[in-house]
Amino acid sequence: MDNNSKKKAEFRVLKNGPLQVTGNFTLKCSEGKVIDTKEMIFLCRCGGSANKPFCDGSHRRVGLRD
Amino acid sequence: MDPNERKYANKEITVHWKPSTCIHATTCYRELIEVFNPRNRPWINMDGASTERIIDIVRKCPTDALTYEWNEDGKVSEKPPESGLSKGSRLEEAKDQPAEIRIMKNGPYVVEGDFTIIGSDGQGLKQMLMISFCRCGASEEMPFCDGSHRIENFTNSCD
Repeated sequence: MDNNSKKKAEFRVLKNGPLQVTGNFTLKCSEGKVIDTKEMIFLCRCGGSANKPFCDGSHRRVGLRD
Repeated sequence: MDPNERKYANKEITVHWKPSTCIHATTCYRELIEVFNPRNRPWINMDGASTERIIDIVRKCPTDALTYEWNEDGKVSEKPPESGLSKGSRLEEAKDQPAEIRIMKNGPYVVEGDFTIIGSDGQGLKQMLMISFCRCGASEEMPFCDGSHRIENFTNSCD
């Protein structure tokens, strides 16, 4: 599936968990370096992941609460 | 008008700061900490750099949280509403563009482009063309950034 046929990006806030991103998006570092991703990603929101920017399940240990 | 709006001046310009509009994109203090330092009070030090440099950074603010105007009559004036319009039109260009997620050093995810947000209750959240999501876990405005990463001394970067 190429970029043009992808749907508009959707950010789904999972309760007490990560940010699920799907659709047409790119992921970059502050200075512009592109990070290759799958079509669906889960971004850490609790600050505790050892695999940032991605979720590793640490939100349960950290006790993230929305 | 934002009741918390503040003004900071040097001899030439006055910088306006509207906290309710700030999305904590961190552009100002990453690029010019000598002037924009959230750990200091007041957090803007107008003596920290040249007027030209301060204007350069104020223009890079992705929202209208930072604007400026010239103090004296007779100089080319850029009132806050005008700079606001130019920023607004730049954001209009983000429409129909793929969403770009930027992982800010020691800060939030800043998202620009065409996207929708579904809240943790399954409801759609407000639509906008640019927003920052908390990634330190400490925001009191979840899921959005409220600047708490500085208090938490959150450190992470992929640069």
